Amino acid sequence: MFGGLREKLQAARSRLGSSIQAVAAPPGAQGPEPSSPQPPLPAESPVTGEPGPDAKKPAGFVDKIKTFIIERELIVSEKDIDGALSDLEITLLECDVALPATDAIIGQVRKGLVGKHRKIGESVDSLVVNSLKTALAEVLGNGFDLTEYIRQHEKPVKILFTGVNGTGKTTTVAKIGYFLKNQGFSVVIGAGDTYRAGAIEQIGVHAERLGIKIIQHQEGADPSAVLFDTVQYASSHKIDVVLADTAGRFHNKANLMNQLEKIKRVMKPDLVVYVDEAVAGNDAVTRAFEFDKTVGADAVVLTKADMDSRGGAAISIAHTIGKPLMFLGVGQAYDDILPFEPAKVIDELLEGGI
Amino acid sequence: MLDGLSNSLKDAMKKLAGKTVVDRAAVDELVKDLQRALLSADVNVKLVMELSKAIRSRSLDEDLPRGMNLREHVLRIVYQELVRLVWASTEVRLEPQIILMAGLQGSGKTTTTGKLARYFQKKGMKVGVICADTFRPGAYDQISTLCARVHVPCFGNAQEKDAIKITREGLVALKDQELIIVDTQGRHALEPDLIQEIIDLNELTKATHRWLVIDAALGQQASEQARRFHEAIGIDGVIITKMDGTAKGGGAMSAVAETKSGIAFIGSGETIEDLERFDPDGFISRLLGMGDMKALMEKAGEALKPEDVDVNALMKGKFTLRDMYKQLEALNKMGPLKQIMGMLPLGNMQLPEGVYDVTSTKMVRYRIIMDSMTPGELDDPALINSSRMQRIAHGAGATPDEVRELLKYYKMMQRTLKGMRGASGGKFNMQRLMKRFSGMQ
Repeated sequence: MFGGLREKLQAARSRLGSSIQAVAAPPGAQGPEPSSPQPPLPAESPVTGEPGPDAKKPAGFVDKIKTFIIERELIVSEKDIDGALSDLEITLLECDVALPATDAIIGQVRKGLVGKHRKIGESVDSLVVNSLKTALAEVLGNGFDLTEYIRQHEKPVKILFTGVNGTGKTTTVAKIGYFLKNQGFSVVIGAGDTYRAGAIEQIGVHAERLGIKIIQHQEGADPSAVLFDTVQYASSHKIDVVLADTAGRFHNKANLMNQLEKIKRVMKPDLVVYVDEAVAGNDAVTRAFEFDKTVGADAVVLTKADMDSRGGAAISIAHTIGKPLMFLGVGQAYDDILPFEPAKVIDELLEGGI
Repeated sequence: MLDGLSNSLKDAMKKLAGKTVVDRAAVDELVKDLQRALLSADVNVKLVMELSKAIRSRSLDEDLPRGMNLREHVLRIVYQELVRLVWASTEVRLEPQIILMAGLQGSGKTTTTGKLARYFQKKGMKVGVICADTFRPGAYDQISTLCARVHVPCFGNAQEKDAIKITREGLVALKDQELIIVDTQGRHALEPDLIQEIIDLNELTKATHRWLVIDAALGQQASEQARRFHEAIGIDGVIITKMDGTAKGGGAMSAVAETKSGIAFIGSGETIEDLERFDPDGFISRLLGMGDMKALMEKAGEALKPEDVDVNALMKGKFTLRDMYKQLEALNKMGPLKQIMGMLPLGNMQLPEGVYDVTSTKMVRYRIIMDSMTPGELDDPALINSSRMQRIAHGAGATPDEVRELLKYYKMMQRTLKGMRGASGGKFNMQRLMKRFSGMQ
């Protein structure tokens, strides 16, 4: 899903590179080749400049070299990169990174670049890439290894899924159930969405297809009771993992959020997983914050990542609540779920083209 | 619901207040703030750039109309440009027709289908629903449950996997209905098979309307997805769902601009009644913090009788428990308090958060408690001492704490209303508002 973001980042990166490059040109007028609009060879200009004076003037050679080096050791100023940074800002916004998260990343990159002494021979590009990398790594943090977590914790491991309406909680529960079953764990699902018409049937069909035991009550039943029963069932049948589905709810509905708190009190989940969609825009920040505030969130699952999204929501949510992204939902089949590895994603975003 | 956007816009506007000549720097600053406001509301980035360019050049180039200050001038331009985006209101006629629902997964198509069926039924039409979602488990259960609640016939078959076949059979089975809504499976533009399916469905049904259902929270993808749906079946209306959350619907607005259609309806709640007709003028008014009287009136007209709200009592500066009782009763018919408040032109006045926390169940409790008060107590709440409180609680089957809570809420409302009156010298005039409110009933 990060294809779009990657493309855009590459462009922003060369823009940043070339604006730093442009500042590098004036002091040593003979240095860079006259026209180099594309910055694929940023490191070369200072190096090629060097041998010239070295060979011609033996007298005062050391002095010359010294001033040359000092002049060439550039300090990147805020002004130099302003244009490029505002381009980067638009890029991030276009990729659905919410405004506050964008501001934070831009701030990071600026801090990483401004006032930096660039040594001769140090590639502008690597300076930019490193700065972007740090900023992204800071935001995305580490991933979350669910399998490892379950292995290390006392069974049954209880996982509660939360999120607003229509983000794909039920489908995600089914997919994770399938994933864990394939990893050799025994799983039980609690049909905690007792509100939406057809929700119990929906999760019931999924469970049946996957051969996973499901605990369900009537429509309109108390979700806490359903999930409590599910946990009881898991304990008495020595089941490894409890997956608790809940009804979608908006974070600004006090009574529904209270209900969720009650569910949490009753079933005492080991993990609260917040589910949101990759195509969400700025609201992703608001609701992630509210959910994290009321019931907490230990990990995040982003769904609908196959919808040609640019992955900005991942960055927005991670920035807002600082919780690891665990899985990406990437399609309609049960195996369309990918564990998320931030380091790999960042590398993928910024590698290539160097 | 559009609080965030309108707040930042209002901040931007404030900076222009008092200026009487075109001030390039001030306009530039406003445009920048406007950009940020629109971007954080998920309006498409390209659209924002076009919009702000137009606003900037018009603000600087057009002569300041006589008698208008810079703020009003720019405000007018911003308003006009925004209205232009959502101008075309989708016409909804009460005549025999077929409506095809389209949209991404989880955008709320099925819920909206139920709401639409209810909407047209209330307008006196014979409505039928076809469930062409053969993919998602439970989809047929969901829509048939929703339809059964309002006694609308629903055709579908959970066993059948061919959406085209179901629809063909459904059209025959429901041929006596005047209006047929076809609910489809969620799909996105990168699924060629599913796009082909909806093209086929469109040809088969010869749908009068093809409405795209869009989640208010959808981000920058909205334009692109809308464009592809539009290419496939020619979208002629957009329905924004989940407007009761905190999302601002800028993505949906971009989708409208992309499809050159209009916003047909707005979904803002979980019950089958929570569907509003969209009024572009009002939408922008609300966006800019001018209040959307029209939508409120429309809703009030359906739910309210004139005796329900005693505007005079409020204006006299007296607000008793009796008034609150009437208010709660009226509000209960109109929907959640926040929804109502969002429609009132309260300018940038901040209401205390607690005002909204009263849930509808609580409102019912409050009314029961007030039912066991004496007329004297209702008119003068100060009378209520602890022994009276005991009696009231006893009579209502409540605890004294609940009665205390009710009184606390009453005091908060009273303070709030007082605040409104006090603010009348500023942006809006409560007196005028209430007059208009009562005049239009």
